[in-house]
Amino acid sequence: MSKKNKKSAAAAASAAPDKQPVNEKKAVKKEEKEEEEEEEDIEVEEEMELLQVDVGDIIKVKQILDETVAGTMISNDISAHGGTVRIREAYGHDNMKLLLMALACCFAAVAQFGLTNDFPKNRIWLGVCCGSYFCISGILQLIMTFIDKDCIMRIQPLSDPEAIKLVKKGGNKYLGKYGIRVRTQFPRFSEFYSVILEFNGKNPPTGYVKQTWSVGQFFDVDGHFDEEGLMLEIEKLYRRFEAGNFDKPNDVGGSKVMKKKNN
Amino acid sequence: MIKDMMDKQVLELKKLWANKRQLTFQLLNLAMIVFSALMIWKGLMFATKSESPVVVVLSGSMEPAFQRGDILFLNNSVDRVYVGDVVVFKIRDRDIPIVHRILKVHEKPDGKVELLTKGDNNRVDDRGLYAPGQLWLEREDILGKAVGTLRYVGMVTIALNDYPVLKYVLVGMMGLFVLTSKEG
Repeated sequence: MSKKNKKSAAAAASAAPDKQPVNEKKAVKKEEKEEEEEEEDIEVEEEMELLQVDVGDIIKVKQILDETVAGTMISNDISAHGGTVRIREAYGHDNMKLLLMALACCFAAVAQFGLTNDFPKNRIWLGVCCGSYFCISGILQLIMTFIDKDCIMRIQPLSDPEAIKLVKKGGNKYLGKYGIRVRTQFPRFSEFYSVILEFNGKNPPTGYVKQTWSVGQFFDVDGHFDEEGLMLEIEKLYRRFEAGNFDKPNDVGGSKVMKKKNN
Repeated sequence: MIKDMMDKQVLELKKLWANKRQLTFQLLNLAMIVFSALMIWKGLMFATKSESPVVVVLSGSMEPAFQRGDILFLNNSVDRVYVGDVVVFKIRDRDIPIVHRILKVHEKPDGKVELLTKGDNNRVDDRGLYAPGQLWLEREDILGKAVGTLRYVGMVTIALNDYPVLKYVLVGMMGLFVLTSKEG
């Protein structure tokens, strides 16, 4: 073997063992990185604090549950069809109530601050403002008692043709035309929390889905709240509604059973 | 414990601030609660035509008919007042209204009415209380005629006016009540 060849052979021989350790080193480094990331993930998970509530405060418990339900309903991944089906909250009704409240406050502010001088002379205007305030207040009360009842949010009908197509194929042909009303029930001194999804709009179909859970399923003795657990349950409930698997009407309603129809 | 409560309140406020719609709703709700109380007062003003439809008796000048601390409901929509009526009136350039009984009524041909009042428990009539040079009250000075009363309920108002520190004690007690009821 010539010197050159020996040298090149030696160089090759020295290079070959370097390559292997370099590859091994890279692999080891990768593994270490992955382990660190996992540890970080684990650490992040461990650091997540669960929301804690005084379970004796029924109003607060219902508020937390309702907020979670509302947040889950408008999340991007609630639908079984992924991000194609986007759920949007309907603000029309809420806007109307806000407008009425603002109008009532305007009348009251005029009566309180604008008509303080020359009282007997501006008595008629005072009467008009007070009367308007109480009328609007009464209308708001009627809306909350007879129209809103236990509804916590309204969802718009689907507007995207692709989404409507997908949902129709899935079994619910009404979500393109009608919105959804989300109702929750949590009677006083009861441990059971119910969520009802039904159609919303003019002459809506009577199909609905209802699910009841014990609050013990989401709260422990110390009041720590399992938000993820409730979100998963709400997702299941919505997907049932989306698929047209409606509940049979019980003593509330008395309407026809909506059957799932395949196109 | 107080620090935890404050932290919770701050967290709630931050959550509310993040959701402007909810914040607007809560603010309007609060405003309507406050305005409801104010509008009830204004409504009473409209119905009774009186600047002050509810007053508290501050002195003992009408004993034994009315005691200090009694609440009086007034009605100024009456056309005429008569001798013997218990009325609340205000003297020009003075803020505090006075509750006394009508002693004399003079009706002039032009329709103008002049009144003289006196406290049941006072020895003399009220001419000494009227504005300098004023001998008679006019119908416009009358805030209203007493049509109803609640005994001693107004003592709380008198106590709060006489001893402002009681206001802080009352607010503190209400706060303590909220704390203890939550703990329960």
